[in-house]
Amino acid sequence: MGMSLLWLRVAVVLYGASALVAGWTTLRQGTRVRSFLQPLLIGGLLFHFVSLVEVLNNNHHWMPMAVHELESLLGLLLAGLFCWSFYRYGTVSLGMFVLPLVFLLTLAPAIGPDFDTFFSPRLRNGWVLVHVALVLAGYSALILSFLSSLLYLLQEQRLKSKHAGGSYRWLPPLDTADQISYRMLLIGFPCMTLGLLTGSLLAEASTGPSYFGDPKVILSFAMWLLYVFLLWTRRSAGVRGRRAVYLSCFVFLVALSVWAANSLSTVHRFSLP
Amino acid sequence: MSLRLLGVNHKSAPVELREKLAIPERNLAEATRQLAHHPGVREGMILSTCNRVELVTAHDNAAPDLNLFLEQYFSLEPASLRPHLYEYSEQDAMRHLFRVASSLDSMVVGEPQILGQVKQSYSVARQVGAMNGELDQVLRRALTVAKRVRRETRIGNTSVSIASVAVELAREIFGSLAGKTVCLVGTGKMGQLAARHLMAQGASHLLLSNRTTAGAELLAAELGAEVLPFEQIYDRLDAADIVITTTGSSEPIFRREHGQQLLQRRRNRPVFFIDIAVPRDVDPAMAKLEGIFVYDIDDLQNVASQNQIGRNEEASHAERIIEREVERYKESRLSLDPVPSILAVQRSLELVRQLEFARNAARLAGMNAEQRKAVDDLTRGLLNKVLHGPMVALKAAARDGDEEAMRAIRLALAGDSGDGASEDDSAKGGAD
Repeated sequence: MGMSLLWLRVAVVLYGASALVAGWTTLRQGTRVRSFLQPLLIGGLLFHFVSLVEVLNNNHHWMPMAVHELESLLGLLLAGLFCWSFYRYGTVSLGMFVLPLVFLLTLAPAIGPDFDTFFSPRLRNGWVLVHVALVLAGYSALILSFLSSLLYLLQEQRLKSKHAGGSYRWLPPLDTADQISYRMLLIGFPCMTLGLLTGSLLAEASTGPSYFGDPKVILSFAMWLLYVFLLWTRRSAGVRGRRAVYLSCFVFLVALSVWAANSLSTVHRFSLP
Repeated sequence: MSLRLLGVNHKSAPVELREKLAIPERNLAEATRQLAHHPGVREGMILSTCNRVELVTAHDNAAPDLNLFLEQYFSLEPASLRPHLYEYSEQDAMRHLFRVASSLDSMVVGEPQILGQVKQSYSVARQVGAMNGELDQVLRRALTVAKRVRRETRIGNTSVSIASVAVELAREIFGSLAGKTVCLVGTGKMGQLAARHLMAQGASHLLLSNRTTAGAELLAAELGAEVLPFEQIYDRLDAADIVITTTGSSEPIFRREHGQQLLQRRRNRPVFFIDIAVPRDVDPAMAKLEGIFVYDIDDLQNVASQNQIGRNEEASHAERIIEREVERYKESRLSLDPVPSILAVQRSLELVRQLEFARNAARLAGMNAEQRKAVDDLTRGLLNKVLHGPMVALKAAARDGDEEAMRAIRLALAGDSGDGASEDDSAKGGAD
């Protein structure tokens, strides 16, 4: 077992413990256990980062060329963004959903061999890493924004129903959920924009202008335009609350369909000859 | 050593009597000192809050007359006091103390202030030297138990008063109240209380609006608020994140169209209306607008009642914790009972003495009965003299809860540490 795998397994254990602490703190409102969350999470992030750097450096000259490596990178970005939101807003309840996801995303690379590897020599380009990392950061921000939006809807419904003493006491404050959702969109936007830009330039350089006729590429740009519209409505038109949350969820679902289209489509797949 | 607790609380005595018995903070040290010097009292502590006055004491032999202390200290007639007193001893006193510190005996179950008040009384008693032995341990245990109850139950996690429910709801909408503006419309008492609570919890600015400006200015000066003329209320209400209304108006003063204007001006930032007025000041239709949250007095009361039910459920969990802690303490006290160790040491050394007699039987054979008795008395007396010091140390260690010292003395003199002490030892000790 290489050292990178050992570091990754340590990170998985720390993420698992963080997920348990987040769940316990949220549901039992245990303030004592809460203090363990930050050190566990930071520990997990450090070990995870070291492991990923070692893997990318040793195996593929900085290219995430395997599905497990992409999962691991997505997990790292999600954990990092959650860590930031926890530090900024002090809300643990989001972690109850994000951290188990991070745990699962890192568990697969930590225990099983990778069956799906991209061998295309065209991937041997430093800009591909930039493209992949930026797009994944954009997706991570969208995932957190989506989860936070769902919590917003639950909290709003709870407060409107006037049964505030019920069992959903663990939900984050309405304004905090709204702010996290918005901040994540703001963080995700430049990442997604630059990710699409680098990806487009790389694709154009390798396959020519025909690339832009691909339906999945068109869908990607449609998603980006929707993203711009969402940010504009929030910033300029003052759309907040439920309508903003619905829009945010819609952008996430479109982004998810773009991801699915990219995974399922056989057009411009680098893994194919 | 025995424990005794005597007192009155909100359940046993009317407020008129509790007022007479309340000891101001500045007099607590002197009162505690006097209690510690009361005949028969070895250690003592006084807990005096607005809802209770309790004397907790530890004594060696006969129980001290604590009724007499109360009657003398407060110059009260026994007939006016005694029917309202409750009294506990030993395990019951300990249980009561644990319940009080854990806020299970409070008027509002789960309120957090009582723990601070118990700590304060404990600290005063230690400062004046009224607590240094077993009572000290009982109090320390009571504080630990109270913290455990807070930690392991959710007894104090919810609000049960209208004002604190309003604060809790505001937090659930806005998160932190820092930087938030509160607008109090009307000068009703409950509204004032809610506004004070919100300001105390971090809200930064208070606006006050009333139909009569004179009343508003007076109250605004007291609350540190800015007066918002009533005729400007619809134009300037957008500055407020939380609106508390408590006017005597017979018609709603905030209607749906006002809510729509408000949201437009606030660029859809949420507003929380706390409508404490009866009849209501906020049209219920306004609650249907997205971004506006309206809670009237019944809604607040419902939340408080739900929270109270939750607290009561947690209280039964807390009672179980306390019962276990009382049992644990009782067991630890039994293990610190010096009698089994004293008996073990005496028996062991008596056995040594008897064996020495048997070993020297041939040399003592020439002695007559009187001489044999003299030798017997001499060795027994010698043994008792030698054992006197260790026996005193053993009792002191038991009183101070120093289990290690007790074990060491017993090991040195009886050859066993008492960890595997036979059950008849304990039984004999208990019977004694």
